[in-house]
Amino acid sequence: MAKSFKNTVFATTAAMMMASGIAYAEETIKVGILMPVSGGGASYGVPAVNGVKMAVDEINAAGGVNGMKIEYFVRDSQLKPDVSVAAARELITKEGVDVLVGAVSSGATLAISELAKQEKIPLLAPIAKAAALTSSKLHPYIFQLAATTDSEGRQMADALSVVGAKKVCVSGFDYAYSHDLFDSLAKNLKDGIEIVDTFHVKLGTTDYSAVISQLMGSDCDTVAGAVWGGGFIAYMKQAGPFGIFETKKLVWGAEVGSSEMAGALKGDYPEGMYAAAYDLWYAEGSDAHKKFLADLAVIEGTKETKMYPVTTYIAIQFIAEAVRKAGSADPQAIAKALVGLSIDTPLGTRTIDPNNHRTNTGEFWGPMVTVSGSEAKQMSPAEYLE
Amino acid sequence: MFSNPTFMFIQVMNSFALGMNLFIIAAGLTLIFGVLRVVNFAHGAFYMVGAYVLMTTTNLIGNTTTGFFVGVAAAALVMGVVAFFIERFLLSHLYDKEHLLQLLFTFALVLIFKDAVKMIWGPLQHSISYPPAFKGAVNLRISYYPAYMLFLSVVGPVLAIGLWLALEKTRWGRLIRAARLDREMLNALGTDVKLVFSAVFVFGSMLAAMGGALAAPRIAVDPGMDGLIIIDCFIIVIIGGLGSLWGSFVGALILSSLTVFGTLIFNEWEIVLVYIMMLAVLLIRPWGLFGHADEERH
Repeated sequence: MAKSFKNTVFATTAAMMMASGIAYAEETIKVGILMPVSGGGASYGVPAVNGVKMAVDEINAAGGVNGMKIEYFVRDSQLKPDVSVAAARELITKEGVDVLVGAVSSGATLAISELAKQEKIPLLAPIAKAAALTSSKLHPYIFQLAATTDSEGRQMADALSVVGAKKVCVSGFDYAYSHDLFDSLAKNLKDGIEIVDTFHVKLGTTDYSAVISQLMGSDCDTVAGAVWGGGFIAYMKQAGPFGIFETKKLVWGAEVGSSEMAGALKGDYPEGMYAAAYDLWYAEGSDAHKKFLADLAVIEGTKETKMYPVTTYIAIQFIAEAVRKAGSADPQAIAKALVGLSIDTPLGTRTIDPNNHRTNTGEFWGPMVTVSGSEAKQMSPAEYLE
Repeated sequence: MFSNPTFMFIQVMNSFALGMNLFIIAAGLTLIFGVLRVVNFAHGAFYMVGAYVLMTTTNLIGNTTTGFFVGVAAAALVMGVVAFFIERFLLSHLYDKEHLLQLLFTFALVLIFKDAVKMIWGPLQHSISYPPAFKGAVNLRISYYPAYMLFLSVVGPVLAIGLWLALEKTRWGRLIRAARLDREMLNALGTDVKLVFSAVFVFGSMLAAMGGALAAPRIAVDPGMDGLIIIDCFIIVIIGGLGSLWGSFVGALILSSLTVFGTLIFNEWEIVLVYIMMLAVLLIRPWGLFGHADEERH
């Protein structure tokens, strides 16, 4: 009797555990977030995770998706392909995530994309821009939500026409992103503008004096740049004293028009430089954009909000809508539902192109100028280009 | 390009200024290794702390030229105090242990400092303006040249000669050189070797922080800035010879010249050029250009 009672207790407990396990799996959508949250990449990764948090909190507060709550797991991708892949593998096997969002650099994202293809887990890339992700390396599980080097090159060509460039020097980090961007730029140049010199530097370098001296010696009238992040800050700081801003016009991609960059460089930011940004806290926008910025200001504790949260916020919106459409959080169902999906975001309607898994992501473009009452330069006028 | 003397002049100046900044940092690493026989992986982290302390100081008292110099001094001081506690209460317990433990310890420091910096100063990138006195460019007749680079080109040699004089001509210098050669004998002769070790670790760490503060106006200050510099420092001391002051001076100039001229001549190969140089030195003189073969015994 005692034994059978014991067995019953065991069986019941086991059944309850199993049941709760199943129920748990059904009630949550598990999202793995791969972002550099330590080291130099933290300036992108930490704001990007804020965007995830904001979207997830909003969706869960509104009752989730078809009754399912979203649960997210953040892993540090450190801007390194090998670390990113190890972290992604751990998210898939240990946490059992249904979908991945990440990473920042194109190198790391290409590496995770390969794993996503093998494991058949959808990967949404909100920040990495290399066109290769969704051209030569396209597969059914990769979705590139970032603007790509294809559209950026086109926009950069337009900007070069606007500033009246004739002979252009291009300068970027020597890797996939810059190569793809300048290839696209070369294809889109018009008005007789030509690229006369290319000055690349190794990724992550901190000394730009050699290329700056070369730029000074070139007869190009405009520099089209793609060095980003801390490299951009160092580049501008080192170029300033050489007088380059007085002799050459500057058009710069890689979202260096963000208020983060303008806020870091303040007066050292080159006046009038044409730059781009995904989001600007001071941009005129729709009511949805205003609400987004107001909510983000609460999370970040400042009205001068950052640029990257909107990218991951939109990624979570896409995941929620895909689950709603698929009626389940099954990875393959999510991947199928994402194809051709259209959603309303704080920056307008975005649709995933069924042919190349890209979205019509636009960017703000314009000259960075001094504005009264702000130490940081601002983009004015800022035009939203798709 | 190379037939243009102005261009070549500027590139030589670029190499020298960059080299001098690297020397200040690497000198600290080589000094610590020479005496303590500890390979300090956290040297880059100390450099990063220096840059952040300068930033906080100039934010507090304003980015004036005085503010800048106060900031550089504060960077060295703050790091000196932190280094004192690290050496006295933690590292000193590991001198008798195997090298692996010391390596693990300094590597742990790297991780701790990275997170501490992110907690104190946040994850964002920052930029510190040049001090007003060295903001623009100076007319050198041949060409205009950034004043701050000239400033670095002067600070480096002054510091090198100062350090050399201190090591050669002062009592403390003699003790440090003695500790480098034979610490047991120095101890037996009644010198407090522990104190010498402490002083060297503190001073070497202060050099790292000072180097970080001096580098800060030219680069972005962010929680990842320690990673690249530590690799540069190791390359410099391996080429120059571990423990040698002039070795790190020459090593820094070799590295900076390879960086600057490598970018110009073999852009595609610039990354490997440095490692080929390092390999060549290791094959021909494994103890470095200015090192001594017999130092391996200790």
